[in-house]
Amino acid sequence: MLAIIGIWSSCKQDFLNVPATGSLDEGLLQSTKGLDALVVGAYSMIDGVADLPFSWTPGGGIWETTASNWVWGSIRGMEANKGTDGGDQPEINPIQTYSETATNYYVNDKWREVYEAISRCNSIIMVATKALDGGKITQDQADNYIMQARALRGWYHFEAWRMWEKIPYMDETTDPATVTNTEDVRPQIIADMTEGTKLPLNAGEIGKFNKTVCQVLLAKALMQMNHDYAGALTLLNEAKTGQKPDGGAIGLAPTYGEIFAIENRNDIESVYTVQYSINDGSGAINAGSGEVLNFPYKSGASPGGCCGFFDPTQEFVNSFRTVGGLPLLDNTYNSDPVKNDYGLVANATAPGASGVVESDPDFTPDQGALDPRLDWSVGRRGIPYWDWGLHTGADWIRDQTYSGPWSPKKQVYKKSQEGKLTDITSWTSGYTANGYRMIRYADVLLLLAECEIEAGSLDNARGYINQIRARAANSAGWVKMPDGTFAANYQIAQYTTAFPDKAYAEKALYMERKLELGQEGHRWFDLNRWGITVNELKRVLAYEKTMPWGDKLYGSATITDKAKWYPIPQRQIDLSNGKLEQNPALK
Amino acid sequence: MQIFTIVRRFALLILSMVISTGFLFAQEKTITGKVTAEGEGPLPGVNVTVQGTTTGAITDVNGTYKLTVPGPAAVLVYSSIGYVNKAVTVGTQTVIDVTLQTEVLGLQEVVVTGYTSQRRRDLTGSIGVVQPAELTAVPTGNVTNALQGRTSGVVVTGNGQPNSTAKVRIRGFSSFENNDPLYIVDGVPTQDIASMNPNDIESISVLKDAGAASIYGSRASNGVVIVTTKKGSKGTNITYSMYIGSQDPGKGPDNLLNTQEYADLQWLVYKNDKTSPYVLDEDGNPTTTKVENPIYGWIGNANPEIPEWHANTNWYDAITRSALIQNHDLSLSGGSDNAKFFAALGVRQQDGIVIYTNQNKYTVRFNSEFTFLNSHVKFGENFTATYSTNLGVSNLQEGSPISIVYREQPIIPVKWTGPDLVGLSHTFTAGDWGGTGIIGNLGNVSNPVANLTRAKDNKYWDMRIIGSTYIDVKIIQGLNFRSTVGGTLYNGYGVGYTFITYENSENQLSNSLRENAYYGGDWVITNTLTLDKTFGQHKILAVGGYEAVKYGIGRDMDASRGNYFTDDPLYRTLDNGAQINSANSNAYTPTTLVSEFLRADYSFMDRYMLSATVRRDGSSRFGADNRYGVFPSFSAGWRISDESFFQGISFINDLKIRGSWGTMGNQLAVSPTNQYYAYGGSPGTSFYDIGGAVTSATQGFRPTRIGNPNAKWETNETMDFGFETTFMNNKIGIKLDWYSKKTKDLLFAPELPGTAGSADAPYVNIAAMSNTGVDAELSFKDKWGDLGFDGSFVFTTYTNNIDKIAEGVPFFDYGSGTTRLGSNNRNQVGHPMSAFFGYKVISLFQESEFHTEDIDGVTTLVENEGVPVQDGAAPGLFKYADTDGDGEITPADRQFIGNPNPKFTYGVNLTFTYKNFDLTAFLYGSYGNDIFNSNRYFIDFWPSFQGQKSKDLLYNSWTTDRPNATVPMASNTSNFSTNTQICSYYIEKGSYARLKNLQLGYTIPENISSKINIKSLRVYVQGVNLFTVTKYSGLDPELGGDDRAFGSDTGNYPEVKQYIFGLTLNF
Repeated sequence: MLAIIGIWSSCKQDFLNVPATGSLDEGLLQSTKGLDALVVGAYSMIDGVADLPFSWTPGGGIWETTASNWVWGSIRGMEANKGTDGGDQPEINPIQTYSETATNYYVNDKWREVYEAISRCNSIIMVATKALDGGKITQDQADNYIMQARALRGWYHFEAWRMWEKIPYMDETTDPATVTNTEDVRPQIIADMTEGTKLPLNAGEIGKFNKTVCQVLLAKALMQMNHDYAGALTLLNEAKTGQKPDGGAIGLAPTYGEIFAIENRNDIESVYTVQYSINDGSGAINAGSGEVLNFPYKSGASPGGCCGFFDPTQEFVNSFRTVGGLPLLDNTYNSDPVKNDYGLVANATAPGASGVVESDPDFTPDQGALDPRLDWSVGRRGIPYWDWGLHTGADWIRDQTYSGPWSPKKQVYKKSQEGKLTDITSWTSGYTANGYRMIRYADVLLLLAECEIEAGSLDNARGYINQIRARAANSAGWVKMPDGTFAANYQIAQYTTAFPDKAYAEKALYMERKLELGQEGHRWFDLNRWGITVNELKRVLAYEKTMPWGDKLYGSATITDKAKWYPIPQRQIDLSNGKLEQNPALK
Repeated sequence: MQIFTIVRRFALLILSMVISTGFLFAQEKTITGKVTAEGEGPLPGVNVTVQGTTTGAITDVNGTYKLTVPGPAAVLVYSSIGYVNKAVTVGTQTVIDVTLQTEVLGLQEVVVTGYTSQRRRDLTGSIGVVQPAELTAVPTGNVTNALQGRTSGVVVTGNGQPNSTAKVRIRGFSSFENNDPLYIVDGVPTQDIASMNPNDIESISVLKDAGAASIYGSRASNGVVIVTTKKGSKGTNITYSMYIGSQDPGKGPDNLLNTQEYADLQWLVYKNDKTSPYVLDEDGNPTTTKVENPIYGWIGNANPEIPEWHANTNWYDAITRSALIQNHDLSLSGGSDNAKFFAALGVRQQDGIVIYTNQNKYTVRFNSEFTFLNSHVKFGENFTATYSTNLGVSNLQEGSPISIVYREQPIIPVKWTGPDLVGLSHTFTAGDWGGTGIIGNLGNVSNPVANLTRAKDNKYWDMRIIGSTYIDVKIIQGLNFRSTVGGTLYNGYGVGYTFITYENSENQLSNSLRENAYYGGDWVITNTLTLDKTFGQHKILAVGGYEAVKYGIGRDMDASRGNYFTDDPLYRTLDNGAQINSANSNAYTPTTLVSEFLRADYSFMDRYMLSATVRRDGSSRFGADNRYGVFPSFSAGWRISDESFFQGISFINDLKIRGSWGTMGNQLAVSPTNQYYAYGGSPGTSFYDIGGAVTSATQGFRPTRIGNPNAKWETNETMDFGFETTFMNNKIGIKLDWYSKKTKDLLFAPELPGTAGSADAPYVNIAAMSNTGVDAELSFKDKWGDLGFDGSFVFTTYTNNIDKIAEGVPFFDYGSGTTRLGSNNRNQVGHPMSAFFGYKVISLFQESEFHTEDIDGVTTLVENEGVPVQDGAAPGLFKYADTDGDGEITPADRQFIGNPNPKFTYGVNLTFTYKNFDLTAFLYGSYGNDIFNSNRYFIDFWPSFQGQKSKDLLYNSWTTDRPNATVPMASNTSNFSTNTQICSYYIEKGSYARLKNLQLGYTIPENISSKINIKSLRVYVQGVNLFTVTKYSGLDPELGGDDRAFGSDTGNYPEVKQYIFGLTLNF
């Protein structure tokens, strides 16, 4: 027995050492193979969505963190409203009524998502440095990994900056327990993003950042953060003739609407598209899950099946009114609003109160002149909706009395793509391969136009804007009825005369971005960059409140200077033990 | 070294007591006599002592004894296990024969304790005992449910689902992460006793304080439940017992609307909101001109019109049924002096009251023991295997069937009866499922009957084995070496199919099959040396041992494929799916534990008792520097009633006071991998389609865990003081304990700042928590002629307090008792676990509290001077308390609005016997706990989804005519003042008392049963859960949940009435 005990004691230490199963320690990653996987891990946050417990919802942080910024950019910018009904995702309600508090968990989730992305970038730098010290990778390899990591880190920080302004900057040496947010971090962000511009033109893979992508992103950051239009102009002029990350050519796609078709997601227009993958074992997390709510609400008969979110505003729709083919830059389009079908029984046969199908009321869509881009940006009754047939009105909307009569469209897939380019592993087909066009070539041209205006070269700016308009005017890309006629009275023209002054040029540019890039998550960030957020949103809000659904949707919403930034999440301030402070602009 | 010092000191203590007290005789008179037991003959081994002295003797095999006493005034006390003590004054007698009566209240019974067993009267620690009859009194297949109300200090919370395991908590909570007690089944530690057949169990001991439990050291802090299974006995005994019965789902929620009422409510909302789907005339009445097409039209001033296709579905009735329950147990026991066995077979079938749900369970047991080498060696084994199949439903979740009852409109038919209708989602023809896809504005819930029917072919299997073998060697009389090897093994499999749906507003558009499988187990080797010796008046029981445990071994996998050609159940294999959805597996990181332990119980004169325990554990869960923990305890008892100064107090038969102090540990709070930094990845968290492949994503990694090699044991320090007494001729017994349990170094994973990334935060020893409480048990037993009575009352309290969470972390919110409102439980320093936190509703706003102002040309309702400013405030909506008095309702005004922890829980067991009849009643109750009724979110607010609503909202809600209502105005407004905040509106009193069991039995008279060659036959009828007394408005106030977030009702599967017939037959 003593012998047994003796053996036992000597074995005890070994017996009590139980290594972890099913995970990797850092040493295993110090190789090109390991670092490549860490790089993929850092890029995987570019869609803004990871199945992580960001909030109280299991696997939370989906729609509020997604790269397309439909909540933060589009809804906040009043080109769309929440849609659905009042009780669904109620955290969005205060965001669209400019009354969100620092305890709104959407704000916290977005914060955590961005900093998770940053921590992944930093882990690349740490592991690459150790791998280099250990002789497991070469200097060139280490430099490339670190360059990619810094490019991404810069971008993620910029995303945080344009949300909150007063943000902590995290590099691989920063201690999260002591970092503050009172310093100006713009120089560090620019330094990181500048590092990205040293990347090669061909990154080898469509989902990576290359020189061109990094140049555009840095230009955006310089414009947004520093109003450094001159610096941006240089970068954009070079980027204009650059390449897609996989070496493909970039340029304007010949027609407008097809840009948003899934099959064209990596087409010539796409400078950088966030890659969505379907049926990849992620339970549809990687399949555009951030936009999955943003489909019409008529299961089986309209795309997606859920959930009736993200409905365009009337004001946004009205903006597409043209006179002589040109938009109404003085916003007088609201005095000739685009006709809607609010309150009308749907075009499809629907049972009425008596239980029998009622005869359809007549509804003729708006007959006035419209920019053809409207019907690629907004679903409206009586107009073809991809290959889903004509939009039938109220029965595609979850609750017209709350969200109005319009439907989203740009992220919607075609009926013929259901089950082929949509995920089938989860509960709805709204999970698609329709990657978010993070940088479109049209965006590059309009940024260039903006820089040229600041540089005083109004004609150059007009040239870029006209390039965009000329493409939109290509009637091959207009929405057509089944009989081949145009779906509406489309009229679009170019600016044939010189812009009279800078103010006019700015108005034309602002309007062009609204029409061309509407519903793509840019609007509120654009307004902030132009410094017109408060006045512009006040104007739109006043108009939207007069809609039959406006009262329910916006209630007593008012806009103050606080609408320009989102609050630093209270949870993060609490967790920092006072190291982080609320943005003074919001105190 | 510490351990040896303690042991040495303890040994010296014992030795010194032996020497100093062992030989103090005075000699005056010799008494002889014989002790017999009533109806049994001579009784050997009886302690005969002279009261108030150390003088004593023990009866021999013939029951005779001889003893010298100081004089005629001496009082002799006769005591023996299982018999009532008897005291006789010597007087002039020299021969004293006595007859002892069988013990009534079990003071002498043998109680299984840590690694040994003891007489109850010798115990110094706090141990609760559950009798086998109590375990099978309520027809549950799960031992955990049977523990409810049976012993003090234990709170058990279950639900009515057949396969559910109840939550067992001993003396409150001592961890944020894991408060499950340690279960020891025949010496084998296990996390799961749910699979055991209650009929196989001989006894259950619940070790509550450190004095009793700390011999289990690092795993004892949540209490230890020791389960001993039945052994064979000499002779042959065959028992067959069975019961069969019916479970009645009852009427379901009584506060939901029918279709007509729902239409009325819709129009009340229109009226309150001054909206209408019709153009209104001057008087505000609807004209025939529509502005939209409502579900419920208006036919003048009469009632709203209901569409012809309407149903009037009671969804509770639709998803429930009267369900069968039956159970059969056959046990065979027998043996000789040298070989004994017990074998049993159990079959149990319980259908759930929710349609298609069921559990079938089959158990076998074989226990045997062989004695040889002149009774010096015993060799035995205990083995049980359970095979069960389950088809259950989720509970306390928004999507669970009971929850859907509160969320699906009554207008929706379970099945469409025609004529054809082009609906929102589908063209409905007769026979189709009905659903929210019929027309707009029916909400987003899916048809629960359709879901349950489609799921009926899903299958889940589980198989578990618990077993041990042991050898027990008697080295010399009173010194035994015992070695036990045991373990558990489990294995399970599940197949679940997801159907394409068409009837809902939000449909499932693709089918898929998911299969999962798992296996796992653990093992233990224990070697003990036990000394059990009596030297005159000194009794020593000591046990020391070594133990090695490995647990948490196992793997699991699950995989899913989609796009099945047909939904035919026979076609459901993974390879038949056209599309791979997922394929995952897990390998568990096991935990190893190596321990040495020692316990010594010493009693002197049966009157002074001392006990000391120490255990040293090493665990693989912690880094090498913090791996070992030492857990000592001391306890003492004093039987005051044996003291001479107690002689005059004759109505007290026995009185013992005792106390204990000790520490116990907990390591379950922390994952075995907590000490390691790790990277990893999964498709959802870190893969990216970097190459644009569309249908696959490239593998990527991320930091997944920040390690903490410095984590160590959670330690709790427990004090317990108690007394046990019997009086009035041993008819009444009282046992009372007060305890205090303080946990320090509590493991907690403080949320890291977002800037640290989202890798799992490490657990650190930072928090602290304390519990105090009183456990009490009162019993009474008597017989009046043919009428016998046996009653007991069990009383449990705990007061839990969080003492510390982490630096700068005064609280953490947890859980989603309300999936729509956010976390309603706040765990805060200075408060108990899981308390409810939110705004306090003081009343509803009245019109008199507002005036109108012109703001930017808009007439706006404004609070009067003195009324705190509140977002969305309007007449008929919630008025929250301005806790900080700053004139504005802000998050700072939130306060603690309820506490789900009961003030006390209790069980009352009453048994009457009259001739051959017996009647048993068992009542269980909980007092003083609050409930967060999340269902109200859905049914008391119109805009909380377009689902079912409450009668309260229609009939008792605020209107100008009902200004004193407590239910807010029926309105489509969703804002801060209505349904978006956690507030006291949802809090209800959760106290309840439930008649768990009422049973009437009849035993066939022996003269009849013997004629048909059976030993005994008892038949009974039984009602279970016949009534529940409560003010709670929901289905069932018994609510479980995570310890950090419990007490919320999100559609709870209720305990239901059962009507049972049963019999027990002995051959």
